[in-house]
Amino acid sequence: MEGHTSYRTYWMVWVLLLILTIVMIFVEAARLPAAATVLLLTIAMFVKAGMIGTWFMHLRYETRALVLAVVLGTLITAAFLWFLLIPDALATLEMSPR
Amino acid sequence: MTQTAAAEAHWKGGASPFGVSWQKLMMWLFLMGDALLFAGFLASYGFVRLASGTWPEQSEVFTMALIGTMTFVLITSSATMATAVGAAQRGDLAKARRFVLLTLLGGVIFLGMQAYEWTNIIHEGARLTHNPWGPPAFSSFFFMVTGFHGTHVLIGVLILAITTIRLGAGKTTEEGVELAGLYWHFVDLIWVFIFTLFYLI
Repeated sequence: MEGHTSYRTYWMVWVLLLILTIVMIFVEAARLPAAATVLLLTIAMFVKAGMIGTWFMHLRYETRALVLAVVLGTLITAAFLWFLLIPDALATLEMSPR
Repeated sequence: MTQTAAAEAHWKGGASPFGVSWQKLMMWLFLMGDALLFAGFLASYGFVRLASGTWPEQSEVFTMALIGTMTFVLITSSATMATAVGAAQRGDLAKARRFVLLTLLGGVIFLGMQAYEWTNIIHEGARLTHNPWGPPAFSSFFFMVTGFHGTHVLIGVLILAITTIRLGAGKTTEEGVELAGLYWHFVDLIWVFIFTLFYLI
């Protein structure tokens, strides 16, 4: 699939990425409740990652099979690391003698 | 061909299911594996941070202006790389070469700033095994995570240098530039996660 994104689009994405980065630095400095900070920053992080993948890495021009394999494949496997290993590691820590 | 038949032909591997060259497919597979390397790092960092109870206040340890500038440089180099790939796709290899060089420059500036950051932090007494700010794991993760990322940037700079030379010699195809670009954007993508999870949260 041949895709020609205009140069203008790339630099628009660049501007948006910079704005999001600045917003993130302000959110961190604003001393909001910890949960709000983590939630906002995590959302901004995934939006930024999605923009880089979609426009810079041209995923919007690839077949759906490739996009699903790459994005879901990585996210699901990475989520396993976070949500299965961490609780298990914490439980092991609780049981171990200090 | 009806839609179902077309889908079947794709999923049975009759056509090219992903619709990309094997080079690009292999690059994506490599990037997925590499992403999981960093996911492993960041997950173990998350666990250790939760388990240690206390964690240094990052804004007191790091200079946020420096980290912000490093992020700016890396995002900008990603935009110049995207422009280089766009130029290569349009057949303008001279422009592609100029923008690959600009990207390379961005990578070198990023590495310079990272070396400066590391020097400062080492001077303040941070080592792999201990640091002046609290849990020893803090500086251990700092050096390992940013070190692995920095190594990726260094390898990216080498790839860009090779791409520049090969573009000059007329040896690199449009896809060669695109694959170098995929790797470079990936390095930027990983930085987005490190910047958020390690420096900000």
